[in-house]
Amino acid sequence: MWLRISLGILLPAAFLIGQGVQNPALTGEAVRSREIAKTNPFTTEADLQQGSALFQLHCSYCHGSHGEGGRGADLTAGVYKQGGTDPELFKTVRIGIPGTEMPAVRVSDDEVWRLVGWVKKLGSQGLSEKAPGDAAAGKATYAKSGCAGCHRIGKDGSDLGPDLTDIGRRRGLAFLTESIVKPDAFVPNAYRAVQLEMKSGPSVSGIRLNEDDLSVQVRDVGGNPRSYMKENIKEVHRDKPSLMPSYQTRLSEKELGDLVAYLNSLKGAQ
Amino acid sequence: MQRWIVRIGAVVFAAAVAFTLKGQAPTQGPVTFERLIKAADEPGNWLMYSHTYDSWRYSSLNQIDVQTVKNLHVKWLFQGRHLEKFETTPLVANGIMYLTRPENAIYALDAATGRQLWSYEYRNPARTFNCCGKVNRGLAMLGNTLFMNTLDMHVVAVDARSGHEIWKTEMGDYTAAGGYAAPGAPLVVKDKLIVGMAGGEHGVNGFLDAYDTKTGQRLWRFNTIPQPGEANFGTWAGDSWKTGGVTTWNNGSYDPETNTLFWGTSNPWPDYNDDFRAGDNLYSCAVLALDPDTGKLKWFFQFTPHDLHDWDSTQIPILLDTEFRGEMRKTLAWANRNGFYYLIDRTNGKFLTAKAFVKQTWAKGFDDNGRPELIPGNEPTPEGNDHTWPGVDGGANWMSHSYSPLTKWLYVFAREEHRVFSKNAVPHPTTDEPDRPLAPGAIANAGAYDPAAGGAKTQNFGAPEESWGKVIAVDPSSGDVKWEHRVLTPPWGGVMATGGNLVFGGTLEGVVFALNAKTGERLWTFSANGPVFASPISYLANGKQMISIPAGDLIVTFGLD
Repeated sequence: MWLRISLGILLPAAFLIGQGVQNPALTGEAVRSREIAKTNPFTTEADLQQGSALFQLHCSYCHGSHGEGGRGADLTAGVYKQGGTDPELFKTVRIGIPGTEMPAVRVSDDEVWRLVGWVKKLGSQGLSEKAPGDAAAGKATYAKSGCAGCHRIGKDGSDLGPDLTDIGRRRGLAFLTESIVKPDAFVPNAYRAVQLEMKSGPSVSGIRLNEDDLSVQVRDVGGNPRSYMKENIKEVHRDKPSLMPSYQTRLSEKELGDLVAYLNSLKGAQ
Repeated sequence: MQRWIVRIGAVVFAAAVAFTLKGQAPTQGPVTFERLIKAADEPGNWLMYSHTYDSWRYSSLNQIDVQTVKNLHVKWLFQGRHLEKFETTPLVANGIMYLTRPENAIYALDAATGRQLWSYEYRNPARTFNCCGKVNRGLAMLGNTLFMNTLDMHVVAVDARSGHEIWKTEMGDYTAAGGYAAPGAPLVVKDKLIVGMAGGEHGVNGFLDAYDTKTGQRLWRFNTIPQPGEANFGTWAGDSWKTGGVTTWNNGSYDPETNTLFWGTSNPWPDYNDDFRAGDNLYSCAVLALDPDTGKLKWFFQFTPHDLHDWDSTQIPILLDTEFRGEMRKTLAWANRNGFYYLIDRTNGKFLTAKAFVKQTWAKGFDDNGRPELIPGNEPTPEGNDHTWPGVDGGANWMSHSYSPLTKWLYVFAREEHRVFSKNAVPHPTTDEPDRPLAPGAIANAGAYDPAAGGAKTQNFGAPEESWGKVIAVDPSSGDVKWEHRVLTPPWGGVMATGGNLVFGGTLEGVVFALNAKTGERLWTFSANGPVFASPISYLANGKQMISIPAGDLIVTFGLD
């Protein structure tokens, strides 16, 4: 009886595992050897939007919801170790990067192309947009508003907030505007603010650099890296994710437009 | 001439370390099945993944206790020198520690110093189909042989004295369907090696295998998706059973008294898209009770029928006898990925009770058979459902729980997690060609992006206010939580209770800790600064208790002076 049962179980399984659905394409050879389009065939606005949605599903866990990086690479930099052409990005998404945590993204080819489109968009969001404001006037607004107290452009400024040297390439106009008027709307993990309410002495505000169950490391508002043992902290407050104040009422509409134009003009060393 | 010298030297060396490092062996000789059954009587060794067949992961060693733990310090480190993190549970036998290092290497170390005795490396193809890193979770041992699963679906047997390969068996084609892998630790039962497999995200067809420990010959295979002609076939719509997943990627447990093997199963595929897989999708998200001699199913219990959230039931089954409503019962105690703690009669699979141990939003209760009564609105959606708890990685996952016979409590390193469940297009797993046929479960496109509504859901993983971890002590008979120790982030490490009334574990940030098993009070910590993706062990080296835990690319071992 057992022999019959075992054959009944083993034979279908052997077929299924051994031959029936074998897929040598998954070794990556098929992708490497087959013809891949030289340019992305899926580049309409609708394709981009679908690429954005797919990115949230498949990529944001490591690359961040806005491509800012984390466990995976920062995709807003527009620099790709495995190559930045459309076919190179297609291969990276389709078969992953062997030897790293980057897996093959298991979606259809059409969807891979849409992802490629969105990934390239993340690395060049500001390049295709031209702000209508006066960039020269915006530079003055930047100086007058004290932005350099927290941000860096080239060699000038501070490191409390994100480096803006090439922000005009990394981010589009809508994102830049939102970051100025609603700075809490999106804060990358690397710049999330904490307020440390100490058991004794004054509270400390800063950017969370690192944290575990024993200690928290912050860059204080003076730009200094500090480390605090949690046994000396009464509570870690995280309710305001950005240290940056809103400039919605501090700037006129023209000043805001000019400031966005100035930031949009910052393309970095290209 | 030089070669001869090397060979002679190797022989002498092998003989010298043949299973008895001088002065360190509480028990010597080959690891027999009888020793495995009585592994609890050898607290100086750690002979199988969960220490004992009941999977308590409990060490009765008590040199390190609530008084002395403050003096615990690092005795040695072992550096993996690999980009991938350790997820292994080392074995310790007769003064030697055996561990797997990613991807599929085995190292034998002097358990007192961490000094290497030998190494063996199995070479995988460049591309394998593991879901979550090129990791391995450990070994099994019988006689003088170590057993390891590989990412390309092989099982290898290696001589524990020398590291020489004895046999190698292919479980199946690792490139079939969307890709198979075997990252888990195997389990020895009698003269058989029980081996599970992974690929639940790749449309595979799951199974659990038994191999002859002497030859590597396959002795039986249990199909975790009933095939045509088998009992319980027909709980998958259409042909969806062919690619239904239901893998067996973690370790199992064994009850010698009833000669029953217990093993958990994974999610059905496609994970979040059930358009074409109506039905209960047996035996997904279940525990299987099998006859280890034949692979014949005794009974099963499905925790999450027709799962939509990737809530695998691949947790390690914990076997304990406990009082339930005034009567002693032989039970399985199971803190499940779906957020509920279950108590199951392990003699017949009867549901006894269930209680949530983390925040959950999807079930309002259970019927008499343990079938959950669903709360509508928790299904994955194209735009992303962000209000279902627990998250995709669950309230518990693969990491070991522990049971202490001193406190009679179960210890669970639980995950309170908030994530987004999205339903999207799923390509057929058997081909990635552009004109491939669509799979059961495929839909036209992700489709639901609405820029006017703010676009797809975005996520801020890792923010402490979004999700966190907690070690909890659970009364196994009621599911009541006796104490809770909260940590910063959801864990990927397990816990171990000890005879010193301590509970050891480690966090994702690399904080290794010891808690008072009675109160949850944190008594000791060490900053390893590497993520803990494994569960601790304890053993004796030169008569002194050691605690060992992987953290990042390190194995960290602690002891007292």
